Amino acid sequence: MNEHAIATRPGVAATTQQIARADETVVFDNVSKFYGEVLGVNRINLTLTSGIIGLVGPNGSGKTTLMNLMTGLLRPTEGTIRVLGIGTDEPTRLFRLIGYCTQWDSFPRGVTGYELIYGLLRVHGYPHARSDELAWEALERVKLVDAAHRKVAGYSKGMRQRVRLAQALAHKPRVLVLDEPLNGLDPMARAEIIGVFQGWAAEGYHVIISSHILHEVDMIADQVILLSGGYVVAEGEIGGVRTDIEEHPIQVLIRCDKAPILASKLFEHDHVVEVTMHDDRDGLLVRTKDANRFYLALNELVLAHDIEMETITVADADVRAVYQYLIGTEGEATR
Amino acid sequence: MSTTIDPVAGAARAGGDPTGAFGIDWALIRRQIGGILRLEISKNLIGGRALILYVLAFAPVLLVSLWVVVPIDKGLGGPASGAAIFANIFPFYVRVSVYLSALLLFMSLYRAEILERSLHYYLLTPIRREVLTAGKYLSALIAMSLTFALSTALLFVLFCAPWGVGELMGYLFRGPGMGNLLAYVGIVILGCAGYGAVFLLAGQFFRNPLVPGLVLWVWELINFLLPPLLKKISVVHYLRSLYPIPVVEGPFAIIADPTPAWLSIPGLLVFTSLVLIAAGWRARRIEITYGGE
Ligand SMILES: Nc1ncnc2c1ncn2[C@@H]1O[C@H](COP(=O)(O)OP(=O)(O)OP(=O)(O)O)[C@@H](O)[C@H]1O
Ligand SMILES: [Mg+2]
Repeated sequence: MNEHAIATRPGVAATTQQIARADETVVFDNVSKFYGEVLGVNRINLTLTSGIIGLVGPNGSGKTTLMNLMTGLLRPTEGTIRVLGIGTDEPTRLFRLIGYCTQWDSFPRGVTGYELIYGLLRVHGYPHARSDELAWEALERVKLVDAAHRKVAGYSKGMRQRVRLAQALAHKPRVLVLDEPLNGLDPMARAEIIGVFQGWAAEGYHVIISSHILHEVDMIADQVILLSGGYVVAEGEIGGVRTDIEEHPIQVLIRCDKAPILASKLFEHDHVVEVTMHDDRDGLLVRTKDANRFYLALNELVLAHDIEMETITVADADVRAVYQYLIGTEGEATR
Repeated sequence: MSTTIDPVAGAARAGGDPTGAFGIDWALIRRQIGGILRLEISKNLIGGRALILYVLAFAPVLLVSLWVVVPIDKGLGGPASGAAIFANIFPFYVRVSVYLSALLLFMSLYRAEILERSLHYYLLTPIRREVLTAGKYLSALIAMSLTFALSTALLFVLFCAPWGVGELMGYLFRGPGMGNLLAYVGIVILGCAGYGAVFLLAGQFFRNPLVPGLVLWVWELINFLLPPLLKKISVVHYLRSLYPIPVVEGPFAIIADPTPAWLSIPGLLVFTSLVLIAAGWRARRIEITYGGE
């Protein structure tokens, strides 16, 4: 590895063309991962600088695979990954720099929050006093001090998410890899955690966050990487990507009674591009250019016609719309 | 919420000399193994797996206690003859209880944590996979050795007990009793070490414990028929020659040709170390693919 890593290779559509020092970046060099015959990610070339980096893609697009590769939990079928200049097969150096909050909501049997974090810090090699200190600091940071001595098995989903965050950041890594870290958090906790991420990013740390909700990452990320089907389909500063998205309709799936009434009323609004009824006539798919106005209209209609809503699904759908757009137009060229 | 990170603490070693012999930070490794033992030993001594371990180790103790208590004629020989009975039962105890316990405990060292989806917590700490393997091995070895040292000592004492406390004390402390007892405890610990290493390695290749469990069992059963070099790839081979009280052997006794005792202990330790090195090396290839297995 020479001192200056080239940001990306030709063949990737949008690239960040900055030249950054290898020991300050996370570099994927032509990385592919296959699970037997199944494609995980393919020919990934990326250079991740410091700041908040959003890894966005629908289910199965390869976000977790990319993060597992970055942290040595998976070995690439091809290519190499270097995290601040360190190979992912050098655990003794790598894991002093990197902390990973995985997607798995599972824990060693019978541990309390404190024991999990303290115990793993001891495995890091920290002596008792330092481990104790770091563990409480981490628990404090995610606001779990009161529940520290309760069994993790009895935690709520949000608390389990937070204890895993605490575990990832307890040893104060310079690179934080967080797989869907906002899942299961209430809005207050989200806002607080996001504030923490932003603070770290401002201090020059790497915070890599995955999400299948573009909107969520969009607000906080300095750089967004869009994944689809194991490929990077777009990469760059959020501004450019955002304009693309804003002009593109989002999809909302609604299940309710009186679906035909709702469909006909919604169609009267000019921001609604398309309304498709489900075969069972209890659901409809709406494409709209303006999410805010759409929700206002929906609220009014629900009240006016006494409609009983069953579900509204939007999160994944709007990302998928972005992908359709991205893959449909320039995406072909990136393969 | 605080947003400060202390970059030095992240990179700094937790005290001690950064490197030692062979460029390896032995102090760090010692602390890391200590960290693993803290977490692992209790896992092996409490819970479902531990329960089976206790049944395998102590069910025979219970049976022999009954034999001691029931007022039947046990023959006139005294504690020494009791010890002789023990000596002939001990090989079966090793082949069944120790063997199955090692299979259960050591094969699940990695496997159970993959099923539980908690192995990644270890793999994300700055520990070499070889050190992790060594730590896990040690934790199970300590748990199992404690259990079987106790059960073996109890069994030995119980077999020597029916002739009264006076006779027992005499045999143990003024006769060869205590020496024999300690020898058996030592053998059982060596057995745990040897089988443990083999099954730790097997656990990295097989998901189902039945396969390696049966293969090794048959391999050891026919061990005495094998040519000398192959004999050495076996645990019973080394244990057999260490028994302090001769065992009444079957018709194949002459062919058995055991390694002399002074070679057996280092022999077994070398065998165990080689298997452990293989297991540690293999651990570097472990990937986390929980769901997709
Ligand atoms: N262990 C595995 N064995 C086989 N295929 C796998 C395995 N793990 C992931 N895959 C496949 O690799 C692809 C990428 O999966 P990955 O989990 O990285 O996606 P993701 O973006 O994290 O999805 P999600 O949003 O659901 O978490 C998918 O097609 C998935 O089916
Ligand atoms: Mg995922």
